[in-house]
Amino acid sequence: MTTETLSLPMSTSGLQSRKKRRQANLAIAGHALMIVMSLFAVFPVYWMLVSSLRAENHIFDTALWPDAASLDNYAYALSAIPIWRMLWNTLVVSAAVTFIQLLTGIAAAYGFARWRFRFDKFVYALIGLTWLVPIQVVMIPNYLLVARMGLLDSLPALILPHFASAFAIMLLTQSMRAFPKEVLEAARMDGAGSWRTLWEVIVPNLRGIIASLAILIFISTWNEYFWPLLLSRSAENTVIQIGIQMFITQEGTSWGPLMAASSLASLPILLIYVVLQRQVIQSFMKSGIR
Amino acid sequence: MSAIGKKLARILVGTFASVAVAAPGFAQTIPATVDKPVTITFYNYNLASAGIGADGTKKLIAEFMAANPMIKVDGVGVPSTEMNSRILADVAAGRGPDLAQVVFDGLDFVANNMGASALEDIVPADELAEHFNGMSKNGLELGVLDGKTYALAYTFSTPVLFYNADLFRKAGLDPDSPPKNWAEIKETALTIQDKTDAKGFSTGVVGAAASGFDWLLQSVLLSNGGRVMSEDRKTLTFAEPAAAGAVKMLRELHDAGVLENSSSGSNLESMNAGGTAMFLNTSAYQRALIAGAEGKYELRAAPMPGFGDTLATPTNSGSGLVILSHDPLKQRAAWEFMKFLTSKRGYTIITSEIGYLPLRTDIVNDPAYLKDWVAEHPLIQPNLAQLERLQPWTPFPGSNYRQILKTMMDAMEQAVFGGGDVDATLKAAQDQAQALMPNNT
Repeated sequence: MTTETLSLPMSTSGLQSRKKRRQANLAIAGHALMIVMSLFAVFPVYWMLVSSLRAENHIFDTALWPDAASLDNYAYALSAIPIWRMLWNTLVVSAAVTFIQLLTGIAAAYGFARWRFRFDKFVYALIGLTWLVPIQVVMIPNYLLVARMGLLDSLPALILPHFASAFAIMLLTQSMRAFPKEVLEAARMDGAGSWRTLWEVIVPNLRGIIASLAILIFISTWNEYFWPLLLSRSAENTVIQIGIQMFITQEGTSWGPLMAASSLASLPILLIYVVLQRQVIQSFMKSGIR
Repeated sequence: MSAIGKKLARILVGTFASVAVAAPGFAQTIPATVDKPVTITFYNYNLASAGIGADGTKKLIAEFMAANPMIKVDGVGVPSTEMNSRILADVAAGRGPDLAQVVFDGLDFVANNMGASALEDIVPADELAEHFNGMSKNGLELGVLDGKTYALAYTFSTPVLFYNADLFRKAGLDPDSPPKNWAEIKETALTIQDKTDAKGFSTGVVGAAASGFDWLLQSVLLSNGGRVMSEDRKTLTFAEPAAAGAVKMLRELHDAGVLENSSSGSNLESMNAGGTAMFLNTSAYQRALIAGAEGKYELRAAPMPGFGDTLATPTNSGSGLVILSHDPLKQRAAWEFMKFLTSKRGYTIITSEIGYLPLRTDIVNDPAYLKDWVAEHPLIQPNLAQLERLQPWTPFPGSNYRQILKTMMDAMEQAVFGGGDVDATLKAAQDQAQALMPNNT
């Protein structure tokens, strides 16, 4: 009996201990897998940085670290194209597009969410359809319009066609439609008009989704390539993605300077990821994988 | 051309072909001189890059403007893959360039759909003859369409067999006797692959490495007596026996394990890294290959391989200069600039600082121009030697030229790497593409 009473707790304890060990092992295996996958994901970025430090005749070496690391590629890239100017241009365009798209998106979404009006669903569907139109289809009419306005080779031309985004309008409309009616009613009873309700009640309460949307718009504008390619005529008035492409030439690709320019170009986005890591991940989860 | 570029070009062609000037060049003689300030816009793909191409071009523009103070050249960088699309868009927008550097495969389209001026229509005959004097006749032919000169060869090169002499030695082969024909290419590549860890051979003739361009393929077909189309450019002939025979040779190389369907970038990278023994591609890669080989292996160059005892018939890659302006004063300014770019001094800069061939071959022996440079850069010799056998890279005609090219290149890839019957694959594609030719539409 005594033996039984003694052995039972030991047996339970043994089981628990084995269970804990198994859980610990699973956790270790899980973490090991995640570490391997993280390394796998980070490796291209590491390789970009390492390649930017290699000499031209060692650019295809497979050593994890170059024998003679040098910043020559950075010096060359900085002298060959106006990188800082291009980065500044990209920053201005990305920030402006983000701000304007948020502004037009919030205004349009508020209209769709707050009021019922004739053909509202039809108009909403039309906006949704514009999202499905490939950029190549609207690019040429946009190009002709911008050319006739005399804006070719200027930053406003890079911003102008991106004043409104169907994605932003639809995402914000859905969020505003889900906004608690009681809060809106309370604001109305407090005497707040439509304008004040939008900016003092709705927007502050949607700052999470607005921040997520801002990050998505900023990153996609930062990475925009084709529209600036069509529009730009000088290195001084273009964005960094075009600058990077300039190292791919008819006479072969200058990989070292290209990697140096790419490293510099990715720094701001990398910074956003580091500083706003949680919001970036949330933004991708809220909007679906883009 | 990139996939996006091709898509854009198709949209542009459909949307603006009617807007773009479809009329032939005006038969209007240009003024004798430029006696008042004028600005010409020059679309140039070297300016869209960073490095020697852009530096050399800027130097050419600066030297010309210093010598011609009345003429201002506004150089605009446009990537080569987007050049035709951009010209079309700008012509439609009413602000097309006055002078453009056009890749030869789009020459017919630019000449017939964008209102390019034939030099014979605007430049006095004696002046034209005087400028053409001393230029390579084969080189001049590159820009001739239907008997008129629409482009002057500007930056152009021929296919060259670059090889790694160290790998030849390692495999017990004599680097002083590189392969002269395709049978020797196969034998040499197999020996190198057997005796070393290196890849024997790579090229951009067909498949992914061709990047959609057929200039190298045309060289191989011509070398075997074939053509992509008839000389009157009305009937496609890339499935005819001589052309198909060349393609069967490429298929044999693939079946023997010598030719892989690898990308252009990886071929160049492998050659640069010392992992490939022979690399047949444009001589424009010479500078990149020299830089990659420095301190690692001995890089050499040989002429393009032929078939049997017959020497190869190389075509050219690269671009020509096309006048698109219809303003007589700007046409004169553009012609003056063209004359400078294709002068002895112009080709000296183009060859020594950018890396392309001189259309004026006499300057390679002239100490005032390229003699010393050629002595220091022996790799250019096979390239120069091939100029005597140069044939034009023939552009497909009509507004469907890109679809015709794509249909042919897809079929070539299928025939060489796809495992099907070569004759049947090429014949089916030829019939399909023939329906896209101008005389069929």
